[in-house]
Amino acid sequence: MSAPGTPSPSADVVLEVKDLKKHFPIRKGLFSSVVGHVQAVDGVSFSIRRGEALCLVGESGCGKSTVARTIARLEEPTAGSIVLNGTDISALGEGEIRPYRRQMQMIFQDPYSSLNPRLTAGEIVSEPLTNFGLAMGSDLQARVASLFERVGLRADAMAKYPHEFSGGQRQRLGIARALAVSPQLILADEPLSALDVSVQAQVLNLLIDLQDELQLGYLFVSHDLAVVEHIGHRIAVMYLGRIVEIADNASLFDTPLHPYTEALLAAAPVPEVQRTKRERIILTGDVPSPSAPPSGCRFHTRCPYVRPECSRIDPPLVEVAPGHHVACLLRPGPSAGHAAP
Amino acid sequence: MAALDKTPSGAARADNTEPILSVRDLRTQFFTSDGVVRAVDGVSFDLHRSETLCIVGESGCGKSVTALSILGLIPREIGRVVGGSIRFDGMELTKLDEGEMRRIRGNRISMIFQEPMSSLNPVYTVGFQIAETLRIHQGLSNKAAAERAIEMLALVRIADARRRAGEYPHQLSGGMRQRVMIAIALACNPQVLIADEPTTALDVTIQAQILELMVELKERLGTAIVLITHDLGVVAEVAERVIVMYAGRTAEEATVSELLDNPQHPYTRGLIGSIPRRSTPGARKTTRTRLQEIRGIVPSLREEIPGCAFAPRCSIATERCTSQRPPLETHGPRHSAACWETAPSSALTATSPRS
Ligand SMILES: Nc1ncnc2c1ncn2[C@@H]1O[C@H](COP(=O)(O)OP(=O)(O)OP(=O)(O)O)[C@@H](O)[C@H]1O
Ligand SMILES: Nc1ncnc2c1ncn2[C@@H]1O[C@H](COP(=O)(O)OP(=O)(O)OP(=O)(O)O)[C@@H](O)[C@H]1O
Ligand code: SF4
Ligand SMILES: [Mg+2]
Ligand SMILES: [Mg+2]
Repeated sequence: MSAPGTPSPSADVVLEVKDLKKHFPIRKGLFSSVVGHVQAVDGVSFSIRRGEALCLVGESGCGKSTVARTIARLEEPTAGSIVLNGTDISALGEGEIRPYRRQMQMIFQDPYSSLNPRLTAGEIVSEPLTNFGLAMGSDLQARVASLFERVGLRADAMAKYPHEFSGGQRQRLGIARALAVSPQLILADEPLSALDVSVQAQVLNLLIDLQDELQLGYLFVSHDLAVVEHIGHRIAVMYLGRIVEIADNASLFDTPLHPYTEALLAAAPVPEVQRTKRERIILTGDVPSPSAPPSGCRFHTRCPYVRPECSRIDPPLVEVAPGHHVACLLRPGPSAGHAAP
Repeated sequence: MAALDKTPSGAARADNTEPILSVRDLRTQFFTSDGVVRAVDGVSFDLHRSETLCIVGESGCGKSVTALSILGLIPREIGRVVGGSIRFDGMELTKLDEGEMRRIRGNRISMIFQEPMSSLNPVYTVGFQIAETLRIHQGLSNKAAAERAIEMLALVRIADARRRAGEYPHQLSGGMRQRVMIAIALACNPQVLIADEPTTALDVTIQAQILELMVELKERLGTAIVLITHDLGVVAEVAERVIVMYAGRTAEEATVSELLDNPQHPYTRGLIGSIPRRSTPGARKTTRTRLQEIRGIVPSLREEIPGCAFAPRCSIATERCTSQRPPLETHGPRHSAACWETAPSSALTATSPRS
């Protein structure tokens, strides 16, 4: 069986993640003994094909960044496999992983802190090329110049330092650096969140153009549903370290099946005049702590449709329509129909 | 909640047609070692009783400084309101001394600041912090203030208010801290509440709770609200009227439906066009489309901008735009914009022969 959300197994798959877990120890006291674990990511599976953008949405602390960082092997996975172009990189050592780092690159939320302030923009972009021994001398200069052009930065910006750029320009610089080594997969963690509204559109357009042109796979982490709807081919919704629903763009937005997805979609304000009062489900209560997730379905403490069995049974992620997977006891399968109250 | 129903102390409510707060051509500057920052460079708006007015604009356009100027909170050592007027309930706030301002601030005009964590004191319980506002401004006894604080926490829908009143800020979630801020701000039943990005740091589900709460409390208590945000979705959700700021100036002012359906200023048009939209079911696009972009970046506020601040990024800018500042012109009832090219009068000048 293929991982949830894999439309069809094919050679096109750039990344396949299976049952990925990342638990962080909580240490306390004099001897820093481990008193518990934050289950930041607790069994996440999905795949990404060439040219496909898979978006990861969910509220703060649900584990989105940890998924991206663990795939990039910036964090050691606790369990599970990370198959990049056919090779499981989850257990590779630092030396062995080096060649694979070229195939995937990360773009960070904060264009301010993710760039070395002491390097010029030109050096920032050429650094990965020299590190991987991909280019030297005049070839290097030419490649850096073409990367600058590709992301819409002027060539004369190469001599400037990061602080001399605006937020949007810095994010372009981060994208140029990520593209330098010709990766097949981009892990973008909230790449627009630190940018102004009018600049977000510029960067979002750039990311879409680059993907279409270079057939890159994207793991696009965001909490902004409108952005996700705009760029994502498929969407995975996370809640407390788990994927609770994964589907193609149209299915997820038109027929959300998980009560959390439904609430998330209802909560996001839309920039249109409200002619009639919107019927909206407003969740009560706070997000529980990932160090002590609720029993059974992790969403049961806030779910408007909660039933007694929800606190006992941990619902698995099931395919209820082609490519549409959901983890909710009220959604038993395509034949049983919708059991919503 | 009987205590909340009485009118604010000493504030005889005037007739309903006068705006409660009226800001005219406000200009606030900071004096730094490398020059003058024109943080607010000509902002005007009226706020009516029981109205929600949103101020939108991108980072650094002067939204927070506008709010701090109204409350007289610009630190004297570094900046000053250099021009314009701020009239509140018949008083000119720019002329008041610090003692007089202190009686208004937190009492008749209160504010929720952009960073909730830094505006709550970590060493006092939240109940104490609400009670303190009541002791200072309303002269309540310790006991009465403590009881009112619990009532206020219940009002902002904090469950188990009595227990929570005895907790410290770090023991509360972000959403609960923001509710405490609202409780403090509303404790004295102010006539005006200025809320600076009260939900930006919160998750969407918590944001929805807080926005709903603010709208409900406004309707119940009759407080006029100035809500500062950069999120047009939030604007559509709660605003009655909106002002769009750009580079320290009012670019456009309109009712929310006018602004979203019939934007006049090229910046507002660009802003609305550049946000990704959630599509309506059935009307879904099958391929991804590019968003409309506003090219370029915001201008520096360190140099004087003689013309329209948006001119370098504007696709319909003319010679006049770069040299002369466009005035706020009326585009219809309660709708004005500061743009030479889209102003109704520009149609006249365009067709009339040059003399
Ligand atoms: N290095 C770490 N040590 C301990 N706990 C961590 C660490 N990194 C993340 N966590 C915890 O793991 C959980 C998931 O964090 P993560 O940053 O992945 O969330 P997120 O979904 O990206 O949230 P946000 O939207 O706020 O960025 C959180 O509870 C966080 O506190
Ligand atoms: N203490 C200060 N000294 C110098 N300049 C300042 C100071 N405070 C604010 N400014 C400048 O004033 C301008 C307006 O700032 P303000 O904080 O009002 O922006 P804002 O619209 O609230 O932005 P944001 O959406 O990021 O909160 C900015 O250019 C800012 O750099
Ligand atoms: S005044 Fe000119 S530059 Fe400014 S928005 Fe209007 S047309 Fe554009
Ligand atoms: Mg994150
Ligand atoms: Mg601000």
